[in-house]
This record gives sequence, C-alpha cells and structure tokens, in this order.
Amino acid sequence: MNEHLSRDGFSRRRTDRVAIFGWLVVGLFALSAVFAGFLAPYDHGAQSRFEPSAPATRIHFSGLTPIIHPRRVEDPLRRTYTEDTSVSFPVGFFVRGYSYKLLGIGETNVHLFGVRSTSGIAPRINLLGTDQLGRDRFSRLLYAVRFSLIVTMIGVLVACLVGIAIGGVSGYAGGFVDTFLMGATDAMLALPTLILILGVRAAFPLELPIIRAAMLLLLIFALTGWAEIARLTRGLVLSLRQREFVFAAVALGVSQTRVLFRHILPNILPSLRTRAILLLPTFLLAEVALSYLGVGLQEPEPSLGNMLTAASDLDQLRSQPFNVLSPAIAVLLFTLAVRLIASSERAQ
Amino acid sequence: MIKLLLRKFLQGLMMILIVSAVTFALLGFAGGDALSQLRDNPQISEATIERLRSVYGLDQPLPVRYFRWLSDAITGDLGESMYFRVPVSGLVWARALSTFLLGSAAFAIALTFAVPLSFIGVRYKSTTIAAFVNLLILVTASTPRIVLALVALAISVRLTASAMEGSSSVLFWLAALALSAPLISIFLAQLHGELQRTMREDFIKLARAKGLSEGAVILRHAIRPALNPVLTIAGLSLGGLLGGSVIVESVLGRQGLGTLMVSAVRARDLPLVMGIVLFTSTAVWLGNALGELLQAVNDKRIRDLGF
Repeated sequence: MNEHLSRDGFSRRRTDRVAIFGWLVVGLFALSAVFAGFLAPYDHGAQSRFEPSAPATRIHFSGLTPIIHPRRVEDPLRRTYTEDTSVSFPVGFFVRGYSYKLLGIGETNVHLFGVRSTSGIAPRINLLGTDQLGRDRFSRLLYAVRFSLIVTMIGVLVACLVGIAIGGVSGYAGGFVDTFLMGATDAMLALPTLILILGVRAAFPLELPIIRAAMLLLLIFALTGWAEIARLTRGLVLSLRQREFVFAAVALGVSQTRVLFRHILPNILPSLRTRAILLLPTFLLAEVALSYLGVGLQEPEPSLGNMLTAASDLDQLRSQPFNVLSPAIAVLLFTLAVRLIASSERAQ
Repeated sequence: MIKLLLRKFLQGLMMILIVSAVTFALLGFAGGDALSQLRDNPQISEATIERLRSVYGLDQPLPVRYFRWLSDAITGDLGESMYFRVPVSGLVWARALSTFLLGSAAFAIALTFAVPLSFIGVRYKSTTIAAFVNLLILVTASTPRIVLALVALAISVRLTASAMEGSSSVLFWLAALALSAPLISIFLAQLHGELQRTMREDFIKLARAKGLSEGAVILRHAIRPALNPVLTIAGLSLGGLLGGSVIVESVLGRQGLGTLMVSAVRARDLPLVMGIVLFTSTAVWLGNALGELLQAVNDKRIRDLGF
C-alpha cells in the first residue's frame, strides 16, 4: 500500500515535470512567433547576393566581446567561404536594423542582437547560415514559425467549432441524423486525409498570396479535421443527456438550445481539451507538408514547409545538414512538446 | 458472416460515392482546370479552348459530368490524364505497385518491432522493458514522417558520394522505415496494452493453473484475443499510410502514387486527381474490410454474431 502510494506520487511528479518541459517549449515557440521581428536580425526577404548558401557565421571573441569577420566567396561553384580576419565587427544586443512593427502596433527598428558598425556597412551574422538567395535562415525560421503557429491555432479553433457542432447535433438529435453524421465521421477518419487535402487543394489556383494561402489552409483544416472532435463530442453529449441536471433543466421547461449551450457544452469542453491540443501538431504537419510540396504557402514568404525544400539541394544538405534541416528540428520539437503535454493531461 | 461482408460492402460503396461526389463538386465549383491555363497562351484562340472543352466534356453541367465519369469509372475507365496524355487507370496502377511495395515494407517493419517487443514485455514483466516500450511509443508517435524522411535523405547523402546512385535498396528501406514510424507506435501501444489487459482474464489464470509455461500461455491463449483490436487499427491505419507515402515519396524522390498525386495537383489535372482519390479511398475501404474479415476469422464470436 505504502509502496503503491509513493510510486503513484513519484509518477505524478514526473508527468508534471514532463508537462512543464512541454509547456516551456510551446511557450518559447509562442514567444518567438509574437516577437519574430524583434528576435530576427534581418528582414526575412532581404537577400545578400554575395553570400548564397553560406554556412553559419563563426563568432570569435576578442576579450569578452563577441566579434565576427566579413567573409568572401572563395569558390562560387562549391560555395566555400573565407573569413577576412583583418577586419572585425562587434556583435551586440539591441542593435538598430530594419524597421518592423512590434506587437502589430508600434514601429521600431531595435533588434535583440546584431552586428554594430561605425561606418553603417556591416557584414551579416547568420546563425543558421543562408539559403540559396543569401537570405538569413534564422530570421526566416522565426517568421515561418509565426505563420505556421497562427494558421495552426486558428485552424484548431475552427475545426473544433465544426466538430462540436456536428457531434453535438448528432448526439442530441439521434436517429437517422446520428447514423448519417457518424457514418460520415467514420469515413472521414478512415480516408487518406493528406490525399483528400491535396484533392481539395487542386480546386484552387496554384499561386496564392499569403492571406489567401492562410484562408485556404484554414478551409482545408475545417473540412478535414473535425471528425475526431465530432466523435468525441457525440459520445459526451450522449452520456450527459442522461444526467439528472439535464433532465431537471428539461423538466423546468428550458429550451433545447439553452440546454445545449448552458448545460451540456460547458461540461464537454474540458474533455475536448486534450484532443484539441493533439490537433495542433496534426495541422502544423499538414501545413508543412503542403508548403513543402509547393501547394501551401509559397516563396518568397517563409514557412516551415517551403524552407525545407532547400534539402533538395543535396550538396548543401551534405555540407550543413543541421542548418538546412533546422525547420524540421523545430517541427520535431513542437510535436514532441505537444505530445508530452497531451500525455500528461491524459494521465491525470 | 455473409451479412457482415454485405454490410461492409454497402458501407464502403456509400463512402466512396460520397467522397467522389464531394471531391468532384469541389473541383467543379472552384472552376479552372488544366485548360484554363491555356488562356495565357496568346497563340491559342478562345474558340480552340471551347472546342477542347467540348471534346473533354467540360462544357456539360456538373451532375451530368459526374454521372458520366461514374459510369465510366464502373467499367474501369477513369478517363485520360490531361497532363500525361495517357489513360488514368494505367498510370495509377503502375504507380500504385511501387507505393504498395513501400507500404508493405513499412507494415512488416512495424510488426517486427511491435510483436516481439510486446511479447517480451508481457512475458518478463520487466519495468525496464515497459519503460523502453513507452519511450518508443512516444518517440515514434511524435516524430513526423517528413522529419524522418528528410533525415533519411541526409543520411543517404552522407553515405554515398553521389547522392542517388547505387543505393536504391538502402533508400527503399530508409523510406519504409520513415513511413513505418507512426505504425510502430500504434501497433506497439495497441498490442502491448491489449496483451496486458488479456493477461488479467480468468482463462489466462486457468491456462496457468493447467501448468503451461508463461510463454505458452501468451502464445496459445493471450495472443489471439489481443490481436483483434490490432487488426482493426491495422485496417484503419491504411489511410494514414497512403497520406504519409505522399511525403516520403516526395522527399526521397520515389515514383509512387503520392508523387503522382502531387504532380496531378500542381498541373490541376482533374481526371487524374479524381482517379487517385477514387483509387485510394477504394484501397482504404478494402483495407478496413480485410481487417474486419481477419477479425472474424480470428474470433469465432464475431463470426457467429454476423452483425
């Protein structure tokens, strides 16, 4: 008995720690999405003709100040670079650079870090190297996370609304409506979702501006992502409908919609939370897949998916795999964190 | 048994009809097809496009087109791909074979992980193995296929000096491994959990009381009842497998059904898109039906119930 208790306590503590780690990672993602402009040293579209496919900038130390050297292309075909050690520029915090909107309101040009120079011409610091057009991969990654997170989160909300509506109607109405809606739900769950998503995607023009692409992704999530939520909602509604407080409400003459919204819905939402959280990585991956395949968000706008197309440049993949695959690592971290949160929620 | 099959058949037919109708309607309403791109070409007159439209039957109203397409599809004729200029059915079959091989390999990998690990985990009741199994379930469930496929690509590029040559079988197994990760998680979680549950049943106590060894108890008495939910899951995972093959094939440059779908979407080749949607949903339905059939074979209760 005693052993059982202590063991239980131990495992609960551990799941708590795991969940905290998960929330930390997700929080970090959210922060980098909100403050993408502040954290990114350069504009995500700014190209540098002299530094295509460059590796990460080496950071040296002169005393305690970090410095970098400008670099020159040594062999443009094999894309090797040499550092010019005769000149050095200090790296500092809160450096002025391109201007952006902080939190969508105030315009500012202060960035978390950057290269200082007195002459105004400074070499660029690329923490994750540059892509084929010489754009800073670190800055692009931050903006990509922002786009993906916004679309994913709104997508989860929309899909939940659709799922709750379908599941609620199905569970409350019963009969033929229930049979039909649950048949559709089962079909939806069994079908090859990504192929269906691509099928829906084929109906729209290939090239889309960023807002349109986001709307399209949301539409696709709403059309294909509701099934699990609907099934869960239906089950919950069916069991709640038999509870005394619902009978009491009905006996008091409360209208059906009021019963649904005031008595049943508030009791469903907590149980839906875990499932809704698990939709986050699903949708994020759908966005990544579509953009990777060139039918989601398109260049020049950065997204986690279209940044990964750089992996098809095999030379670069071989010489700097971690830089090229950094968006994939971000995706992996995010999915892992969300899974950890969900599994500890389920354990409670 | 017959009733069960008939019910499954009708359900599947309904599903395929609905899916194909919805996809067809979406593609039709959104407007624009492979021909509307011809408008950009100044050398092709509006009259030519109209003539081509009537050749392909695109000037007809949507329901007419759907029923024409459906009646052709029943006879096995899925029309002609507008982009590849060959019959859709031939194209789909040729590519489906490659995807089928890859998917089978992924299934095989997942089973070789799940079956022995769950057996050992339940046989020896070791907490270390249980922890390892749980870790493997978490890792394989939360590592996306696209990440695995990209890592596989990076590894194969590292292994071979010139990327794609001479390593096709290595690449095949890497692709299958990337495709199998979520399957490993699903199968392992289901089989391990179900075996643990079954081991607490009364008939297991009886088998132990008869003096059977623990291994024999599992193999002769526990495996079969524990297998049923796994079969359902295996049938249901086919959809995810086909979706995942789109990613894995695209990343690793394999010519399969997934890459065919991507090129069809990019070319807005509607007959081909419809053909692949029809083919894959039929395949998924067949997979589900096969899963249930195997369950009925495995479990006499389901066979006799015949619902």
